[in-house]
Amino acid sequence: MFKAWEIFLYPNPALNFFTTVSRTCLVVLYLGFQTVDGSAGLAPPQQVRLDADKETQTLSVTWEDGHASTFDVEILRTELMEMVLNETVGVTEDQSTGKHQWNWTSPVPLECTSLSVKVRSRDGQDVSEWSSQQILPGLDLPDNTDSQMYPEGKTVPVGSNMTFCCIVEEGQQFGSLWYKDTLVKENMLSRRTYATTMTNQGPSNPSGTNVVCSNEKKMIIAGAVVFVGYPPLPSDLVCETHDLTSVDCQWSKGRDTYLFGMTRQTYYTLNGRNCPKARNSNMRCGLEQWDGNWTLVARNLLGEFRLTDAAELGHRVRPVAPVNLTTPEVYSWNASVGWLWKDKGFERLSLICQVCLSGHQTYTGYGLNTVVLKDLQPDEKYSVKVRCGSQKNFWKWGEWSLPLSFQTKMDRSVAPDIWLWMDSDNLGRVLWKPLTKSESHGQISGYEVILWSPEENSQQTLTLPQSVYSLPINVTDLGSKVTVTVTARNPAGVSLPANVVIPRYLPDAEDTAISKVAFNGSGFPLSWVAHANASCGYVVDWYNTSCTQDCNVEWTRVAADNTNTMVQSGNFFAGVRYTFSLYACSSESTVLLERWHGYMQELVPSRTVLRLSPNQEGADVQLTWDQIPLEHQRGFILGYTVYLTNASHLTLLANITDPQLTNHTVRNLVLGSYKFTVKAYTAAGEDGGATVSISLEPYTYWLIMEILVALGTMTCLLIVITIAFTGFSFSIFTILWKTMPGTGLICVCFQGTLDVKPSPHSMVHIVEDSVWDSSKEALVTVPEEDEEGTGDEAADTDEPASLRYYNQVVEEGSSSQRRPHASDSSASSTGSMDSGHTDVTYTGIQTSACYRPQMQSASCPEEPQTGPEEHLQPPVGSFGGYQPQCSWKQDSPEADGDGLDQTCLGSPTSVTSSQFLLPYDTSEEGKEHPSSASTWFHNLLTGKP
Amino acid sequence: MAGTRTRRVAGSEQSRTARAAALAEELHHECTLLLELYRKKETFAEELTVGGERLVTVPPLSSQLSPNDRLWRLYSALQQCRNLLERAIGLEEGVGNGGDRAQYESQRKTVRDRLGHLLASTRLLLEDRAGTAAFTPDPKNTETASPVNGSPFALKLWIYRIFSELEHWTLTTSRTLKALHPDGATPKESRTRGRPRGRRTRR
Repeated sequence: MFKAWEIFLYPNPALNFFTTVSRTCLVVLYLGFQTVDGSAGLAPPQQVRLDADKETQTLSVTWEDGHASTFDVEILRTELMEMVLNETVGVTEDQSTGKHQWNWTSPVPLECTSLSVKVRSRDGQDVSEWSSQQILPGLDLPDNTDSQMYPEGKTVPVGSNMTFCCIVEEGQQFGSLWYKDTLVKENMLSRRTYATTMTNQGPSNPSGTNVVCSNEKKMIIAGAVVFVGYPPLPSDLVCETHDLTSVDCQWSKGRDTYLFGMTRQTYYTLNGRNCPKARNSNMRCGLEQWDGNWTLVARNLLGEFRLTDAAELGHRVRPVAPVNLTTPEVYSWNASVGWLWKDKGFERLSLICQVCLSGHQTYTGYGLNTVVLKDLQPDEKYSVKVRCGSQKNFWKWGEWSLPLSFQTKMDRSVAPDIWLWMDSDNLGRVLWKPLTKSESHGQISGYEVILWSPEENSQQTLTLPQSVYSLPINVTDLGSKVTVTVTARNPAGVSLPANVVIPRYLPDAEDTAISKVAFNGSGFPLSWVAHANASCGYVVDWYNTSCTQDCNVEWTRVAADNTNTMVQSGNFFAGVRYTFSLYACSSESTVLLERWHGYMQELVPSRTVLRLSPNQEGADVQLTWDQIPLEHQRGFILGYTVYLTNASHLTLLANITDPQLTNHTVRNLVLGSYKFTVKAYTAAGEDGGATVSISLEPYTYWLIMEILVALGTMTCLLIVITIAFTGFSFSIFTILWKTMPGTGLICVCFQGTLDVKPSPHSMVHIVEDSVWDSSKEALVTVPEEDEEGTGDEAADTDEPASLRYYNQVVEEGSSSQRRPHASDSSASSTGSMDSGHTDVTYTGIQTSACYRPQMQSASCPEEPQTGPEEHLQPPVGSFGGYQPQCSWKQDSPEADGDGLDQTCLGSPTSVTSSQFLLPYDTSEEGKEHPSSASTWFHNLLTGKP
Repeated sequence: MAGTRTRRVAGSEQSRTARAAALAEELHHECTLLLELYRKKETFAEELTVGGERLVTVPPLSSQLSPNDRLWRLYSALQQCRNLLERAIGLEEGVGNGGDRAQYESQRKTVRDRLGHLLASTRLLLEDRAGTAAFTPDPKNTETASPVNGSPFALKLWIYRIFSELEHWTLTTSRTLKALHPDGATPKESRTRGRPRGRRTRR
């Protein structure tokens, strides 16, 4: 059966005869079958015909003699006999032609492969025989040997599904299919045809999306391009007139179509006229005459879109730019600007115009073509441009005109802002601020300064160049009330004069109280009580407080009705103290009202306190220091903190909140070395701190204690000896008298021997001398080992020096007479006693390198050492100075004590004593405030309570 | 004297040959870049190759040929390349543009300009060898194949093949000119070597 169809389909002239016979046979067979099937009522469709529209991939099937309204249609791929469609469709007969027509859109391009179509009539369940099978030949037939790909160059909307097929060249082998550069899965449609279906395609690039077919060697053998995009979708059509005649319409392009090139781009028409200039982003189109209604049609291969707009001409006026701008009149403070219109219509239209001149100024007028610009600045360059709109039914501003430049004329400058800063009563400087461009009204050529005194009726005039802004003045000869006048000169003339009466010179801390003012982030806020005599307002000047000469002075003026201001300057620096002075200004005087000190930002002091020194006062240490210089304070000094420094650790001892107080006493310290740190602090914090060390001397106390014990012991011994030897006293005197003839009066002063075990460094050398040297008035301190050590060493000695003291009897008026010695108990002193002329020399007293010789050794001290507690206080600020006991004994209030007077036997008696040396005390406070320990011992010995 | 002039001309020709070789090498690099840019622009898969017949046809560059004949054939091939390129540029403009093609178009212009320079250099070499009188008019290739049936894909593929031809013939030219120049080096080097030769000639 199929073979018979194939023969029918592929007619061959050689088989014409056979074909004719076959047709006859088939008709006979068909009629026979019809009778057998019992479906003789439904005739099969005749004259089936296929028409293909390959562009739209539509297959049109027509047939005759169906006599039914329902038909079964069956479509197969001819070569592989694969079913493509088997569908029952309703098709009515066209009465005029008597034919049935049914259209089918193939998902696969019709070129891809041959299709076989057959139709039969259907009436319910009854069907006719199939019509003869009609074949739509594809392009994969053997006579089309080339490689091909379909569809080619199609334009489709975004999101479309498409099937592409590749017909492989005869003799080649299919390789693969690619969509863009992606390998896609193929489907075999025929021996040479392979297809792939792409769904929901995205937008193409400008040159389209490639679908490529390659052979087994990956060589491109065919391909197609598909352009995937959108139909146009413009918006916002607006039409207006610029010249009151023509129309200019604009719109937005809207969504990108992704379609380019002459055939695929979007074309526009406005009221049926092409808009060739509507390209890319320039979406506009014009018509010569105002129509009132406009329709824009945008069209591309995927569709078209319409926009409409309608308006009256008067409602859509957007004037063109004015032309020929001129400045017919230009003055110092105003100028006029005129312009023309290209279109005469605007001369009769009520317009509103904007003039751009450092900000917009708006002018309104009928047929406006000139304006006067006011509030201009003299000698200033301006650039002006103009644009206008319709005053009635304003639509939009028109285009700006081209700019026009002009320069206003010069005028006299404003009076300079002047001030005076007095260094002293008669010397000072006149200052004035440079005039800004808006103040000078032309190039300043110079200044004139006049000093005049109404009292003296004298005047001094000075002319200065334009670059000078200050003038030193001396008003010594001008009287007490001097007025300064400054004027500025420019080509337009001389400015109004600026006057100021010289204020009285008032340095800080004179008459006027000084307050503190804090910087608030933007400036120093100052406020004051209104002053009656401030007819021309107030002046606030300020300068660096630390500055002493040629200081930079700034000032600001405050209106008379204002009693506060914010002082602002770009010259304020952190850590610098500024002095602000408020003056009331009148034509008669300039009076200082108030002063402030302030810091823009307080910082910690840049250096420490000066001359920090410790002063030992017994168990106390007094620290004293000097204040930090003003320029180093960098903030208001709020006080001082005193620390005890232990290694790197600081222990706060005191916080002195009075910045004027510059000393502090640390009390009740135990023996040892101390370091103290004093820090000044401002609101920003403390400085680095000054540190000082002190070592509290332990030997002083022990020494004094030992002395006191010894003195007590000696007193007791003297009492015993006095009692024991009372009976022999007369004989003793007699012996002595005889022994020393010629001697008038002998005073024997018995003193107890103080025997303190000497340290190795405190050996006593006994120097025997057969001849008494009267020049030796006192004990001589001979340093051991060549006077080794200094006073500092004494301060640092840990081991207290042990001294041995000896009594000496000095015979007044005779150097040859032997003087009896009250012997001490030590071996060395015994030796000394054995010698009638024995000079006792202290050597190697380790702690007394700066000991002074005793100056009163030739005579018996009027008062014995009754107040040893007086010597326990170390000298202030020095450990090197020592004084002999007698020198300060006289000042001692205890000098009148009776206890030791009793040790003098008889009167007059001259006794030279081996006195030990004590530290020299220069402290007044030390004298006034002995330590509590020494006071206790003193009281104990003197019997005071 | 005649011998002197001949040697001087020979020295100059060496320099020109070296310069032309360097220019061809540079142009080959530019053509390779252009081909790559085009492939990316048109999203041709990297694995795929363009087949078909050659668009530029000249007789084979046999080693048996004289240098002059080889130069003639190269010159002819380059002329065909330039004609094809000019046509490709004209046709591609019609397809439409859009998007970011600036780099591609700039590269295409570079190749066109340098191809003109290489042609001029090659022509000078031919004039050195054959003389101006013997030089025939530009072999305008009127038989240049056009893309069939106006298919967009055929046009793309045709341009792709043109760029491939450019890449091929500039490489061939570079190699041939280097072979013709015994030093096979840069113009600077050839100049350095050429000078002593010239001096010897003067002596």
